[in-house]
Amino acid sequence: MTRMERRNTRNGLLFASPYIVGFVVFILYPLGASLYYSFCQYNVIMPPAWVGLENFHELFFQDPLFWKALYNTVYFAVFSVPLSLAFSLSLALLLNQKLRGMAVYRTLFFLPSIVPIVASAVLWLWVLNPESGLINGMLRQFLGVEGPGWIADEHWAKPSLVVMSLWAVGGAMVIFLAGLADVPETLYEVADIDGAGRWAKFRHVTLPMLTPTILFNLIMGLIGAFQYFTQVYVMTGGKGGPVDSTMFYALYLYRNSFYYLRMGYASAMAWLLFVVILAATLLLLTTSKRWVHYHGE
Amino acid sequence: MSVNSHVKSLLFVLGGILVFAVLWPREASSPEEREALAQGRVVVTYWDRHSGHEHASRRKLIDEFNASQNKVYVRALSVGYDASMEKLLTAVAGGTPPDLIGMDATIMSQLVTQGCFTPLDDFIAASDAVKEEEFFPYCWDAVAIDGHVWGIPTTTDTYCLLWNKTAFRKAGLDPERPPRTIAELEAYAEKLTIRDETGLKQMGFLPWVPWDMTTMWGYLFGGEWYDEETGLVNCADDPKIIEMFAWQQSFALDPRSGEGTSYAMDPEQMMSFQQGFGAYMSANNPFYSGKVAMTAEGEWQVTFIPTYAPELDWGVAPLPTPEGAPPRAYGGAPVADCIPAGARNPEAAWTYLEWFYSPRPGGGTSPVSDYNYAIHNIPCRVKEAEQERFTGDPKFRVFVETLRDRETVSPPVTPLTQLLGNEMERQRERVAFYKTTPEEAARAIQEKVNREFVRARRLIGRGRS
Repeated sequence: MTRMERRNTRNGLLFASPYIVGFVVFILYPLGASLYYSFCQYNVIMPPAWVGLENFHELFFQDPLFWKALYNTVYFAVFSVPLSLAFSLSLALLLNQKLRGMAVYRTLFFLPSIVPIVASAVLWLWVLNPESGLINGMLRQFLGVEGPGWIADEHWAKPSLVVMSLWAVGGAMVIFLAGLADVPETLYEVADIDGAGRWAKFRHVTLPMLTPTILFNLIMGLIGAFQYFTQVYVMTGGKGGPVDSTMFYALYLYRNSFYYLRMGYASAMAWLLFVVILAATLLLLTTSKRWVHYHGE
Repeated sequence: MSVNSHVKSLLFVLGGILVFAVLWPREASSPEEREALAQGRVVVTYWDRHSGHEHASRRKLIDEFNASQNKVYVRALSVGYDASMEKLLTAVAGGTPPDLIGMDATIMSQLVTQGCFTPLDDFIAASDAVKEEEFFPYCWDAVAIDGHVWGIPTTTDTYCLLWNKTAFRKAGLDPERPPRTIAELEAYAEKLTIRDETGLKQMGFLPWVPWDMTTMWGYLFGGEWYDEETGLVNCADDPKIIEMFAWQQSFALDPRSGEGTSYAMDPEQMMSFQQGFGAYMSANNPFYSGKVAMTAEGEWQVTFIPTYAPELDWGVAPLPTPEGAPPRAYGGAPVADCIPAGARNPEAAWTYLEWFYSPRPGGGTSPVSDYNYAIHNIPCRVKEAEQERFTGDPKFRVFVETLRDRETVSPPVTPLTQLLGNEMERQRERVAFYKTTPEEAARAIQEKVNREFVRARRLIGRGRS
């Protein structure tokens, strides 16, 4: 290396150092530590004690609530992710029309996404209130039927949360809008010449061109669903009720770590969650080769 | 490098220093505190779990202490109830704990075994302010763990039955005659539960309103949760505990058959009705608004009700117990003042505690009694609880006398009290919705919590060796 190169390397590293230091101190080290703690019994104050695979053994064979939490989370992901995708894509298609005042509509539909999660969760608690809530009030008023208990009912609690998740799809919607803007106009012209109708254009031009965006939103949605926490924490007072029906994985992890100080156990849970998300993402990426089309391919 | 660029980098560095200097954390301080520091007084940091008027009451007393002192200055911070455990843990682990903290004894017992607190035995022995024999025994037991005292009990609570006299009259019941046994309570609940075609209009009684009280009901039924000798949960084979779970279940109809006791409610209607309850500290509290006719509640209601529902006509009596069960009272875990391990000024902190728990010169009340009076809790020392300011109110007196005259039980003091309490609540909910049987619920609690006891003690044992 010449003097100049050495200096450049040094300066480059110096400039990158805030990130490097931050990454090592706040991400890499905690990550490694939590991997180590997942094989330990650890309660923050006392030094961790190595217990081998005991935490994992307890999770798999002795803790039915772990399986319940995993089931609840997978249930939520299976319903909320595809529905959110369909919903945000439909919204994006509607908001992609060339109409006057479209910017206003787009803003309106994006607005829920900027409401803080805690505030919107409290708001939904009122909307879903079986006695005095908006939804059951309307059902009573217009249809004359008594609505379910929603979040208060063991069987309706998870569906309620799925419906709630559709309210804040603004983020995915904006990404879809960007994806739609990226579809070359020429393809539609070609389709026109071929005599394609609206549906055929959507099915054979828009949708294939959007597949990279769909894949992105799918993966991000899946990760978000597996980490679903704030809403249930707020809406159930951190209890995951009624009868554990909203005990989501992240909530159970939180309860173990901060209510019971079982940091080792919680770390083991966190790594299992990481493995599950990683596996799901890899699966999506591998299968995506069959259905995702990139420009120029 | 040119001169210009040197000047630039110098300015850059100076700017950076300035930003750091501005952002560098400083100890927050008031003019009084700066003055105290200038006088060379030791500053003691106090973490209060309360906010609002409760914190204000504590502050007023601390101001009085500060004004009386020329050696110690107490700085009170309201850290809030939520996450108080995490806050203390991180502070102790990071070596910057407060000098004093007000802690729920159930959380304290969870942290004591991990060395989070300073034992107070030597301070207590050398002082006249705090004497074990003056306290309600269960309050002292809650802070005396493994042969040491870890905190001074400040405030405590107990539960009694509150009933709505207007609802009693409407149902044709004598408004001055509350139920005394569980069987009577059930009969009253039946008469006081009102339904129409759309659902519930009024609830007679529900054991888990305003919140789950499975620990208490288990004891009131004559059951035991925990064996001090073995240090393990022993509820699984206690017929009284199983009876208690079955009793709680009897308030819900079996969703499969739709059958149940005469006072049972449809679970769905019950949940919907409960969701319609207003905020606890508001005029919409279900007991105030007449949605619930009888409820188990604490002594603070004696001051809450005149504030939020001055029109309510209500009475208070000891909680009903099953016929033949020992007459017990339930004392909630006290809140205690503790000195965290690694506190910088334990002696100065004790100076404040000594003042707080001593009567004022000339036979006045102690600050801790004033504090209880201000926040409407029961003092942990029997003589103070019997003061006219507490027993002068006929309703408050019922609470104090229940606590004084009956055998008092309170949550077991263990390193896992929170887990135990949460598991009781979980299993109670499962029982109430017929997801499990009372027998299975009792067994599930015992197995889960005992497994954790074994693990926790193993870690503590390793930490000590």
